[in-house]
Amino acid sequence: MADIKGYDMPDELYYHEEHSWARVEGNRVTVGMDDMFQKEAGDIVFVDLPEEEDEVEQGEVCGKIQSRKWIGKLCAPVSGEIVEINEELEDETSLINQDPYGKGWILVIEGNDVENELANLMHGDSLIPFIDREIQRTEEERANA
Amino acid sequence: MYSWRLFKDTINPVSTALGLSIDDTLPLSLAQHGSPPILHLYIFKPSAIVGKYQDIEAALRLDRCRNSEIEYNRRSTGGGTVIMGPKVVALGLGIGINQPGLKKGIGGIFESLSAVLTKALRDLGVNAGFRPKNDLEVDGKKIAGLSAALETEKAILFHASLLVDFNIPLMLDIMNQPPLKLYDKGYNCFSQRITTITEQLGHDIEMERVVEAIENAFSQKFGASFEKDEPDTWEKKNIEDFITRRYTNHDWIFSHKHPRSKMGMGEFKTPGGLLEIYLSLAGNTIEHIIITGDFFSTTKDINLLESSLKWTSAKRDKIEEHLTEAWKEDMIYGVNVSTLTEAIEKAKENLVTI
Repeated sequence: MADIKGYDMPDELYYHEEHSWARVEGNRVTVGMDDMFQKEAGDIVFVDLPEEEDEVEQGEVCGKIQSRKWIGKLCAPVSGEIVEINEELEDETSLINQDPYGKGWILVIEGNDVENELANLMHGDSLIPFIDREIQRTEEERANA
Repeated sequence: MYSWRLFKDTINPVSTALGLSIDDTLPLSLAQHGSPPILHLYIFKPSAIVGKYQDIEAALRLDRCRNSEIEYNRRSTGGGTVIMGPKVVALGLGIGINQPGLKKGIGGIFESLSAVLTKALRDLGVNAGFRPKNDLEVDGKKIAGLSAALETEKAILFHASLLVDFNIPLMLDIMNQPPLKLYDKGYNCFSQRITTITEQLGHDIEMERVVEAIENAFSQKFGASFEKDEPDTWEKKNIEDFITRRYTNHDWIFSHKHPRSKMGMGEFKTPGGLLEIYLSLAGNTIEHIIITGDFFSTTKDINLLESSLKWTSAKRDKIEEHLTEAWKEDMIYGVNVSTLTEAIEKAKENLVTI
């Protein structure tokens, strides 16, 4: 488990720059939203999920997430077919806040080019400069405001 | 100084379909059509507009809307129901997420754009401030509502409604509120929670003056000048498309993609008096809460406590956590966080699905 600047970003996962994470088990990829997103977003009100059997491309918006009065997006970290949806989120969206990498998982994609597409995601040490940049951008804007 | 585009009309009220379709086109035009930021200032025909993931049939009394010729529709941004009309400024803004001057992140975006509207209100003589759950307030009373959505890669749509004047009886008539016991009580509850520019100034003000103040505040904040403009051919095509696909489409307006709505009321006797809680939940999130009763407190403190709970989890530990964060000594005489939480739990026990 890695703590990067106060955000819990597990080492074994891959991350999309729009804050979705991917747990890779062969071609089966479990997807959720990372700790930085859930801390920034606050309490999740609703998750607008795609349908099972939908095809998605890497980076494509495949769901919407409402927190407070903001509606953000869930980007697919890999391409493939959506084979499973976390139905518990229908009644308990707070799972994303409470346990973003466990019970708060959102969907599973059966990837069709996982090995190649992982190169486009962040993993391990490459995550640190990304988190630094995200924090720095916020701080710079606050200083300039 | 560089130019932003300004779509402005505060003379001719528009239908919800047209106004919302223009707004949805704004971020699209930035992301796909090379437009600079666009500010859309306008007024709606009398209407009720729900948030993207609200249950419209639970939020509104649709028969009353039809009888009163009040339009109803669903916007593409989050949040709750807004009542619009010729005395409410509608604001749609398409802006890039990397726009210099705009803070990053969800909280940062709301903070930056709230600061602009706060400045506009202060320039008009209204001492408004940002309420951290995305509303603007004066002495604890809501004067403007804000919401936003990220629909494209790099641009957001930001919505605001500024109350120049407001018809509380109409709102009570067309909105499904928590089951308040008496109409008068309902009126008092909402008049203590909502204010308007007219009420704050003590006199009428022209809509044009209000939108000019907004325009000037944006100019100063972002170092931009405005060029009055209207949608071009590419944008008009998208507007027509949104009108067809979304805002005149039954499936969009009556979308079933929303959490279940529940409402309930609870009473709890405390040493400080009787607490009455009126609660509306969207799924397990508190969408609306009214704390009332025969205790001693101030409107500002009660509104602060209510705000600390809006759009947060309805779980007991979260309620207690948020109340503790907001709590100051003697906010409600003879009541503490624990008893207030208990009263809210009573309301949760009585929730009914709408």
